[in-house]
Amino acid sequence: MTGAEAMIKCLEAENITKVFGYPGVAIAPFYEGLYNSDIKHILVRQEQNAGHAASGYARLSRKPAVCVVTSGPGATNLITALATAYADSIPIVAISGQVSSKLLGRDVFQEADMRGATKSFVKYSYLVKDPDDIPSVFKEAFYIASTGRKGPVLIDIPMDVQNSTLKKPFVYPDSVHIRGYKPEIKVNMNQIRRVVQALAQARRPLLCAGGGVILGNAETTIRAFCEKFNIPIVHTMMGMGVIPKSHPLNFGMLGNNGKPYANNAVEQADVLIVVGARIADRAVSKPESLARRVAVIHIDIDTAEIGKNLGPTIPLVGDVDDIFKILLEEEIRPADPSWIAELEDIKHGTVDTRVFSDRYVNPNLLVQTLSDKMDDNAIYVADVGQNQLWSADNYIMKDGRFLTTGGMGTMGYSIPAAMGAKMFAPERQTVAVCGDGAFQMCMNELATMRENNAEIKIVIVRNNYLGLVREYQYNLYNGHYEGVRLGEWPKYDKIAEAYDIPFFICSTNDALDETIDAFLAYPGASLMICDVDSNDRVK
Amino acid sequence: MKGIFSVLVENKDGVLSGVSGLFARRGFNIDTLAVGETDNHEISSMTIVSTGDQRTIDQIEKQLNKNIDVIKVRRLSEAKSVCLEMMLVKVAYNASNRSSLIELCQITGAKIMKVAPKFLLLEYHGEPESVEDFIQLLRSYGIQEIQRTGTIAMEKV
Ligand SMILES: Cc1ncc(C[n+]2csc(CCOP(=O)(O)OP(=O)(O)O)c2C)c(N)n1
Repeated sequence: MTGAEAMIKCLEAENITKVFGYPGVAIAPFYEGLYNSDIKHILVRQEQNAGHAASGYARLSRKPAVCVVTSGPGATNLITALATAYADSIPIVAISGQVSSKLLGRDVFQEADMRGATKSFVKYSYLVKDPDDIPSVFKEAFYIASTGRKGPVLIDIPMDVQNSTLKKPFVYPDSVHIRGYKPEIKVNMNQIRRVVQALAQARRPLLCAGGGVILGNAETTIRAFCEKFNIPIVHTMMGMGVIPKSHPLNFGMLGNNGKPYANNAVEQADVLIVVGARIADRAVSKPESLARRVAVIHIDIDTAEIGKNLGPTIPLVGDVDDIFKILLEEEIRPADPSWIAELEDIKHGTVDTRVFSDRYVNPNLLVQTLSDKMDDNAIYVADVGQNQLWSADNYIMKDGRFLTTGGMGTMGYSIPAAMGAKMFAPERQTVAVCGDGAFQMCMNELATMRENNAEIKIVIVRNNYLGLVREYQYNLYNGHYEGVRLGEWPKYDKIAEAYDIPFFICSTNDALDETIDAFLAYPGASLMICDVDSNDRVK
Repeated sequence: MKGIFSVLVENKDGVLSGVSGLFARRGFNIDTLAVGETDNHEISSMTIVSTGDQRTIDQIEKQLNKNIDVIKVRRLSEAKSVCLEMMLVKVAYNASNRSSLIELCQITGAKIMKVAPKFLLLEYHGEPESVEDFIQLLRSYGIQEIQRTGTIAMEKV
């Protein structure tokens, strides 16, 4: 058996049925293996999008997804996607071809030191030098990617290793032993006691859910916990989906792009349970002062997250779902209904003072109408920019998923990620929403989408500008708009035509209902332009 | 404050750069770093000395623990550990100060490894502070070259 055949065997052992990739000579032996296997290869149009598509796929399957690239430029093209997945803790196994091991370090054609280049963007990486290591390397890679705090793992594999024959019989290990990696953390019951005590004394408890709740498959348990003890929930952008919008305990997204009443709830709380969130600068502007005011219970799978941005009163490390299953068994007096009533009052008393132009489509109304009309379990992928913040602010979460890149904020994520998600869950309605800037960073993937019948729906929030940067220049540089005008190109109807998908356009609020209905009703992939005023701002 | 970490790592390529890269990327300071194999050739031991505030030192420990190639991290207290550093140094001499230099070596316990016409090559080891002190004493003679190992440390208990 050759190294390449062994790689295929490993993927089969991991039940991988699809890989996203882009070939080249240094990975050609592996492609020969693919040719002879049942694994479906999805040819993207640029390597970065193989990574983003794998990310979308992994977020839906909740298991590591695979992308494959060739050495040198193919590999370096993937780095942005790895960094994006790393920042959002998405499990991906990335395979990159490499020049022959004998030539390593000589700067031959298409050699790039991928391990070195990605050190700070992957959870772990391998350079495979012996084909007999392939089974254990793959086993470990999938294990590392999907356990503990999840993340991308890179396997860089020289051509000669793919071509040479294994000396030992192929055995896929059924367990992993890595001396320095023990992701199963036993929950510390002393800390649980302290949490229970703190909650017993709390008068105004609040739970802040981050993306780690979804990554830890703990949405149901946490909802049950909050319902049992009557604890209101706020969430970060990555924590969107932990609780439906209509839920009486949901007080919205916090942060500088979030709801004022969510931030207010954080101000008012006396005990704050932070779960699976790093409490980054976007979520809480002065974490130090927060910790001085309230008792912070910080729950995370990653020990290093605790105390990084926020000094917690009570740290609790472990699997989020395990922890809340334990907490759910406790008997604590539920929080007083007056606390919820107080938050309700503040929520209903909040008036939105933002003014939107009515010359075009009001972006808030767009997201509200769209998400309202979407299927209950639909997948919504928001790109980056004003459109992302409008999306997060107005999205009506039902029983679906809201995917976006919170950690890295990588433009061009939405279409490939939506495509990946759709390929895992073809039965679920999938909508990518992006700006006209980001669209042009990933529109090449329309071909992949068509070629693979990934029937996603794309909404372009068009303002003819790099809106969020323009808004920044408005606020900080007296409206000196430099390098942000996209202008009138391309002609989007022609793009739709080129890919042979229906084109919808909406330029007024009045037309919104009808256009969205038609757009969503169309059974296949479709493209919708929504014109918004370039002067509309997030803040 | 000072953080002394005794770290066991996998003895594989890329591990050292992974650990040092972690310091660089997060803006942690490395004062000294000493690496060598343990009795098990699959495992290397590192002593890393760093300075920073409490939060930084705590983060270093956590980030080291998070590194998959790191097998074990121990934070050593100076009081409860033996800390040593070794140094090789070439010191210039002339007829007038030769005997005082040799005397200084005798007092401090520095070993003369080579007597050359214009310099002595000395080996000295001791606690990191005493290495510093010895260097100060040598300055008036003229230090030509210096090599230090960085601190290695071990708990007394
Ligand atoms: C790859 C990448 N490049 C640059 C940026 C910086 N950036 C953040 S938002 C933004 C503007 C996005 O414009 P557009 O996609 O049109 O969306 P809008 O803000 O107009 O909704 C830019 C350039 C980024 N986040 N990602």
